[in-house]
Amino acid sequence: MLRNTKKEWLIAYILVAPFVAIYGLIFVYPTVDMFILSFQDAPLIGTGDFVGTENYERLPRDRRFNTAFWNTAYFVALTVIPGTLVALAISLGVTRLSGRLQSLVLALFFLPYILPVSVVFRIWDWTMNFQFGIAMHLLDALGLERVPVFQTSTFFMPAVAFVTIWWTCGFSVLLFLAGLRAIPQEIYEAASLDNTSRWRTFRHLTWPLLWPITALVLTIQLILQLKIFDQVYLFSQGGRPNDNLVMVYYIFQRAFVNNQGGRAAAIAVVLFIMVIIIAALNFQLMRLSERNK
Amino acid sequence: MNKFLAIATASVVASAAQAQETVVWWDFLAGGDGVRMKQMIEDFNAAHEGEIVIDATTLEWGVPYYTKVQTSVAVGEAPDIMTYHSSRIPLAIDQGLLQELTPADFETMGLGEDDFAPSIWDAVSADGAQYGMPLDTHPIVLYYNKDALEEAGRLTEDGLPMGLDSREGFTQTLQALQDSGSVNFPLASVTADGNFMFRTIYSLMGQQGGELMTDGEFLAGDNPQKLENALTVLQEWTNAGFQSTYTDYPATVALFTNGEAGMMINGVWEVPTMIDLEAEGNLFNWGAVELPVIFDQPATYSDSHVFAIPAGNDMSEEKRAAVLEVMSWFSNNSLFWATAGHIPANNSVQGTDEYQAMEPNATYSSLTENMIYDPKTPLAGVAGPIFDVMSTYFVPTLNGEMDPSEAVEEITYELNDM
Repeated sequence: MLRNTKKEWLIAYILVAPFVAIYGLIFVYPTVDMFILSFQDAPLIGTGDFVGTENYERLPRDRRFNTAFWNTAYFVALTVIPGTLVALAISLGVTRLSGRLQSLVLALFFLPYILPVSVVFRIWDWTMNFQFGIAMHLLDALGLERVPVFQTSTFFMPAVAFVTIWWTCGFSVLLFLAGLRAIPQEIYEAASLDNTSRWRTFRHLTWPLLWPITALVLTIQLILQLKIFDQVYLFSQGGRPNDNLVMVYYIFQRAFVNNQGGRAAAIAVVLFIMVIIIAALNFQLMRLSERNK
Repeated sequence: MNKFLAIATASVVASAAQAQETVVWWDFLAGGDGVRMKQMIEDFNAAHEGEIVIDATTLEWGVPYYTKVQTSVAVGEAPDIMTYHSSRIPLAIDQGLLQELTPADFETMGLGEDDFAPSIWDAVSADGAQYGMPLDTHPIVLYYNKDALEEAGRLTEDGLPMGLDSREGFTQTLQALQDSGSVNFPLASVTADGNFMFRTIYSLMGQQGGELMTDGEFLAGDNPQKLENALTVLQEWTNAGFQSTYTDYPATVALFTNGEAGMMINGVWEVPTMIDLEAEGNLFNWGAVELPVIFDQPATYSDSHVFAIPAGNDMSEEKRAAVLEVMSWFSNNSLFWATAGHIPANNSVQGTDEYQAMEPNATYSSLTENMIYDPKTPLAGVAGPIFDVMSTYFVPTLNGEMDPSEAVEEITYELNDM
């Protein structure tokens, strides 16, 4: 049978067109617009005068940008690898359980993940509030000084990182569990016949076989934590907002508080490029380390 | 269909062939004052049945509210009337969000410059034009626990705290409260929230005749010293254990209302909280009074709730007349609004016997002569950029972590760097 390729192409175009149109409208167009906006002295809404690269030039000497940049890096360092390790440890523990008990324990670790960020904020504020937090009464009982966790710059980032790991590691645990279940039992049986120690089993079997999942979790975490905003914003209410700035928070501040859409767009472009570079680097590193195995 | 006809007929009859105007209204009043505002809206609708009906929506206070106003104006979906903070008017003009209220408009409302205190009128004015109709002024005041003060021997015969006229006097009162042991903290302060403390600290600057902004420059001349003086007093109170540390807003109100703190500096909008608790029999004897004079002269930070008409709203002449009627009615009936603690902006309402007898408003309404408003810059206003800068340095200073002089240096740098 002869195929009418021209007609097939036409049908293909027609079928793809709605997706391309929607993708172009809600993704490509705003992204391009953001780039254009970053070269303008624009308010939050509407366009402004073209100012060249001025919005970018002022970033290196902008103190708040500096704070935001380093805080974001600090936060990523505090959450990505530690969060992945915690999730791995939990999943290794959970996988040793079986039946109902396993489901129950898994559910307990997954529970925080389903909470909205506002509830997470309320729970931890209720715990850590300097005047009325239940943790503070615990410190009193132990005869220790109360700690204003979210009002000092020393404790702020580590505390928010801790809350973030507590909140989100349930999802990583699920990914790791799926990875662990995909490892054939026979390999472990063979290892135990050879009297391999538990550590060697982990080091030479579980860890390498689980590496693709670990790499996936690390990448997801990295991109997610670079875009951190909600928790930092909520816990900074009052407190010391300008010391706690992270990139997205600073974009929000410039755009919605200072009404400077152009300057906000410039920071957004920087973050956009940062995420692309880091994600690409991360991907290459993962591939390299995989090839070495 | 029958129902529709019935309504149509009824409204035609009721309004004598005149169409009923629906006025779309947005506000950000969600607390005890919001309840009172809803009551007033109902009263207005009842009084204007068949002529004007207000369709009101309450939105989230602060950045969310003002962002929504901005987007709605941009797409032409703004309300017909909205509440606004006078401190945000300079920014709103910059953003092109507000319509001018012309002298003719004020004439239609039967109101004018003479009906308001000069500082209030000035707060809604820019370049000689007016952009809002002031409803109230809501300063901060000193709330006090009469029982605790009496126990400490620092209550006058008139039931006022002693030592309101000097720094030494007020420190004595704080000291006496601490010594009496009847409270954990002599003063409840929102020390975990520099945004809030801006109001107190700005008042203390005003008490030295200080200005935040002079000719477009922040903290010019000797104003940094005045800010440092203000911060030093508050840090001394912290170091002496006079005020609660790292306390956020809800905790501050809780410390005062459950009797753990003897006094509290807070906005008049907490008056309904006290009145309601007292009515339930869950509160001690309390009062509210103008801030103590710590420096040379009395001064209190204040802001006003105003009514404004958003830009980009081509309303018909009839609709605009209805909006003006709403503004005028609420101003003339703002006596009830005073039960929410606010001081009515309309002088004739302030002058009524009922208002003069209303407590605690009557005790603190004298402060309208000593009010200072935010500097007129797009960077000012509730939830504005100045707030974030101040908060970042106020919190460590008020809790004794940072030297006042260092804080002032950083604040001056950051404010002028915006």
